[in-house]
Amino acid sequence: MIEFRNLYKSFGPLQVLRGVDLVVQEGETLALLGPSGTGKSVLIKHAIGLLEPDAGDVIVDGVSIANATPAELRRVRRNLGYVFQNAALFDSLTVGENLWLAQEDEHSLRPPSACCGEAEELLSKVNLDPSVMNKYPSELSGGMRKRVGVARAIASKPRYLLWDEPTTGLDPVNADNIDELIMEVGRKLGVTSIVVTHDLDTAFEVGDRIALLYEGRIRADDTPAGILENTDPIVQRFVRRTRMDAA
Amino acid sequence: MATTQAGATVLLGGAWRASTRALTNVGLATLMWRDIFRVLPYPRRYITATLQQAYIMGIQSLGLVLFIAALGGAVTSQQTGAQFTGGLPLWVIGSVLAASVLTELGPLLTAIILMARVGAAIAAELASMKVTEQIDALYAMGRDPVAFLVVPRVLGGFLVVPPLVILADFMGLFAGWAVGILAVDGLTTADVIYGMRFYFRTWALIFSVLKGAVFGVAITFIACFVGLQGTGGAEGVGRTTTTAVVTTTIVLMVLDVLLAPVLKAF
Repeated sequence: MIEFRNLYKSFGPLQVLRGVDLVVQEGETLALLGPSGTGKSVLIKHAIGLLEPDAGDVIVDGVSIANATPAELRRVRRNLGYVFQNAALFDSLTVGENLWLAQEDEHSLRPPSACCGEAEELLSKVNLDPSVMNKYPSELSGGMRKRVGVARAIASKPRYLLWDEPTTGLDPVNADNIDELIMEVGRKLGVTSIVVTHDLDTAFEVGDRIALLYEGRIRADDTPAGILENTDPIVQRFVRRTRMDAA
Repeated sequence: MATTQAGATVLLGGAWRASTRALTNVGLATLMWRDIFRVLPYPRRYITATLQQAYIMGIQSLGLVLFIAALGGAVTSQQTGAQFTGGLPLWVIGSVLAASVLTELGPLLTAIILMARVGAAIAAELASMKVTEQIDALYAMGRDPVAFLVVPRVLGGFLVVPPLVILADFMGLFAGWAVGILAVDGLTTADVIYGMRFYFRTWALIFSVLKGAVFGVAITFIACFVGLQGTGGAEGVGRTTTTAVVTTTIVLMVLDVLLAPVLKAF
């Protein structure tokens, strides 16, 4: 379980998070919606300890991230996968080496070539041909890089996956593929996911629950059906397009 | 009067900000050293990457280091010949050549080449990794960027620069001798060898190598430290690289001055 407790975060004079309370239950997929620049990515970066809160805490499996020792934090991070918005692949390493790095313990001296079987399996999960294994990220398209980023995030078989705008910049077909992948890892691997997105289609497609982050606080937190029926004007304005699509 | 006061306030404010920034950097650099020493007892975490870095720094810089060292030696023997001919015995050229190359030119020219070729590249690479969230990705995977990126580079610099300095010393002396013979009237090989032997002490050679090790660590550490603080986009990466090169140049010259008394100590 991941629990955000009264989280505050500012960058200089800009107050981004203003007391966020949110619980993500084991095995569920939470879609975190919100307008651009409201701090959705900032929020999930706190879960993995990439940012320190000004106040409040994030509890992952009972471990306080704000007070964790470096060793505790490393342990927690081994159970968390993070899909970065721009993939954040290591551009001096090939695709295979990127996957190897995520799979291997840092004390291992096993060469990257030793885990090709597992890497091929990971690539097939994200609909990529094994021939990309020896390519560098700069030789891949944006969509392919994103899918390698997903493969790298699931390589260490995490219990939790944090998806930062997974479908942004993808064509509709690849966006659908990623949506299916999010649902598949939830179903098959039992992974708990937080999907940060401003793509309503993705949110309603993959989310067991949807939370709306607005002006630094959680404005709504409900099932997709509950969100559609929510009478709050802000929520209504945000999901109007989905409502019209449904109609 | 009011203008003078406002000017003084601005000046004091600037000085205060600069001092705070400098102290913050000293603190952060100290923390990075602590992290480096924490990683060192676990060689499995960095040994493979260290060997790769040593190869990149050493083998790929060797040609340029030797070329610049040869030019340094050649200039020294010619300049010494031009200034001392007629006033002092010619074998002095050999002594000046050995003293200059072993204590200054060999280590310093090697360091400058490494700074331009390796230090700038490290700073740009790490800054680029920082701004494209690759450093965050390392953290997210439970990897320690210090073990993965910093230690291999600093250790690589420590291991590779001393042998490069030895080779640069040799090349500088050889080129100095060859050009001296050709360019200075009356200078013989025997003069050069006599002059070199007259000056030579084992400590000078050890000093040269030690200086190389210190410079190697300084270049790579500063490049890593500055690189990991990179912010902004492409412009930020460029700014970070410039900062790394300027800082390293200053630190190398300061270290050169601070290390000079060590030569006299033995």
